[in-house]
Amino acid sequence: MKVEFTAAQDALRKELRTYFENLMTPDLKAECDEAMGEGGGPLWREALKKMGKDGWIGVGWPKELGGRGMSPIEQFIFVEEVMRAGYPFPFLTTESVGPQLAEHGNERQKREIVPKILAGECLIAIGYSEPGAGTDLASLKTTAVKDGDGWVINGQKMWTSLAHFCDYVWLACRTDPEAAKPHKGISMFMVPTSDPGWSCSPVHTLGEVRTNATFYDNIRVADDAMVGELNGGWKLVTSQLNRERLSLVNFGPTAEMFNNVVRWAQNLELPDGGKLIDEAWVQMNLAKVRAGVEALKLVCYKQAWAMTEGNLEMADASAAKVYGSEFFIEVYRLLGEVIGEASLISRRTEGANPIASRIERLYRTASIITFGGGTNEIQRDIISAAGLWMPRASR
Amino acid sequence: MDFGFSEQQRDVQNLARQILSDNVTAEKLSQYDDYKAERFDRELWQKFAEAGLLGVAIDDEFGGMGFGFFELGLLVEEAGRAIAPLPLISHLISAALPIQQFASHAQKLAWLPKVASGEILLTAALSEAYNDDPTQPYLTTAKAEGDSLVLNGEKANVPFAHIADRILLAAKTSDGMAVVLLDPKAEGVSLSAQQVTTYEPQYVVSLNNVRIGAGDILATGMDGQALIQWLAERTTVALCAHQLGASDKAMRMSASYTAERKQFGVLISTFQAVGHRAANCFIDVECLRLNTYQAISRLDGGLDATNEVQIAKIWAGDVGHRVSYAAQHLHGGTGIDRDYPLWRYCTWLRYNEMALGGSAKTLAKLGKRIAAGQAFCS
Repeated sequence: MKVEFTAAQDALRKELRTYFENLMTPDLKAECDEAMGEGGGPLWREALKKMGKDGWIGVGWPKELGGRGMSPIEQFIFVEEVMRAGYPFPFLTTESVGPQLAEHGNERQKREIVPKILAGECLIAIGYSEPGAGTDLASLKTTAVKDGDGWVINGQKMWTSLAHFCDYVWLACRTDPEAAKPHKGISMFMVPTSDPGWSCSPVHTLGEVRTNATFYDNIRVADDAMVGELNGGWKLVTSQLNRERLSLVNFGPTAEMFNNVVRWAQNLELPDGGKLIDEAWVQMNLAKVRAGVEALKLVCYKQAWAMTEGNLEMADASAAKVYGSEFFIEVYRLLGEVIGEASLISRRTEGANPIASRIERLYRTASIITFGGGTNEIQRDIISAAGLWMPRASR
Repeated sequence: MDFGFSEQQRDVQNLARQILSDNVTAEKLSQYDDYKAERFDRELWQKFAEAGLLGVAIDDEFGGMGFGFFELGLLVEEAGRAIAPLPLISHLISAALPIQQFASHAQKLAWLPKVASGEILLTAALSEAYNDDPTQPYLTTAKAEGDSLVLNGEKANVPFAHIADRILLAAKTSDGMAVVLLDPKAEGVSLSAQQVTTYEPQYVVSLNNVRIGAGDILATGMDGQALIQWLAERTTVALCAHQLGASDKAMRMSASYTAERKQFGVLISTFQAVGHRAANCFIDVECLRLNTYQAISRLDGGLDATNEVQIAKIWAGDVGHRVSYAAQHLHGGTGIDRDYPLWRYCTWLRYNEMALGGSAKTLAKLGKRIAAGQAFCS
């Protein structure tokens, strides 16, 4: 065991940090801020293509799939640094669906879609939830019906984030309504958003992040739009979610925010002459965040390591997701307290403090991932059953 | 970043776990409860010595296995899992390691082979009354007289002082700190027994003009300060490793219990509220594990680890506290029944939480480092 970066990993972190300092121009930053941390703008697209061209998006992918052949640890280092730089990285596409397609996709998908993902030229949204199917995902009703040499898809999905600027939806459809268990009648499809039967309408959220309701009206796709086996979609859903969970709780942005708040508090003068950072309560809040971020870093890297070894444990992925998502909420409170009322001032105010206004935005988005990506109650069920062998109630 | 155990590390872990699970039973542990007998299983100690485990981190030239601090940490974790009646931390980490790192060759020759063989027992006096920061002794002082030192003052919570051959002890001097090996039978030393929550034998060691000869002085001045800082970090991390083993075991005992206990006709593990309380422990223990391993790994590799050690201790305090009460709660009355083994974990989890400073104090220390710009996230 050696819980430290190797010299090569340290060098990679440095290289990437410089790379992103140059990449994140003021204009790009402004565009990303306007998109509320979602991306999708022209400069954002340009930057993603540049990362693709420079070989970063697949840094940890095998060479035969078009990557650089480093390990998932280097891949995680890359994602940590890109997110730390404040670039809204489309990790759902690159870190969770992409690897699934590379592993389980058919020849056409591997030939046409995977290289585009690595080039930063293809974006994919996730279509799981429906108005009546959330945590109980297997009850989904969107159907794909066999029709000649293709499939006809009908239904509605909810919370299809990023769909309004994505090229495909990674869509879970019911293909066998008679299956003995509902999750055994689900298949995955890559559905192009360019199809005339596809439409979306925005859902505006507390944190100003836009998400979508998406509609599938007699969309006809060819047989090779299916991913993996007929009625074998559930396994793809769960392993996609396992991968997504790691990306959701990336510690890079929090580490950066902590550092920024510390520097700010070191310089802020108090009315009676001292500096804010000298206050005992401020140090206490900062120390709580610091200790928590360290754990998050280790939890993340242990999983990246486990992926390298090929033994990512379900309970560990769920533990990371629960810990990270609940910790972020604490972070935005503890750091918000340090900044005080200024942490209530929106970035739309002229001269707003960028560190404080970031917290003003993030505290409003923090609740999303305690239920998104598999609600934390289900994650805790997984942990007690898979991690501690506790028999659970049948559902 | 490598989170896997080496073969050598696995060997140490398995060997220790095997010996401990064969030899430490609830029945045996019960004989030490309420100080009915001295909490030290000498037969088991001998088995550890024979298996080479007492010398796991002692260089081979002094009769040890010559492994590193990581292997030693794993040994302590196993002792925590079994709450073994052995003074491993005080003997091996607080006393033997600094001797190996800082002492003269003659001192090493005099003590280390006997440490590894279990022939002698060492301990360390790290605390004073209301002062559990080993790096800031102020109630114990040393004055030079020729090449000797004369010590006065008082140490508290010294494990096994009554049977130790030497007590490693730090005293304040005009130019820093002196660290010495005190013979508890020396003139001017008096011991007074303390009864602590874990039933470990501990003593107040009072020093009245105690003369320490040159041969028993380990370091003075700034060297003394460096030694005690070095030793404090390792002892702190050892407490974290012990906490890790104990909390992991308490958590797993609870999970097993809920998988056997029925109420309303069903296993209580099937209640989501029960499963979730255990899941919280799982997350907590994982955070403690990774922070502890990181700190040990850095110390083992000779890297600076001040922040990482403090963070591990904060987790050790918080996780020990939360897991202890969750484990008792999930066991219901069984958890507090002295005929069932869980309750001893509760006292040790509390001990490791408070020893050498609890979470609030350690957070404050870390907070000071943050304020001074010494603890940015890299």
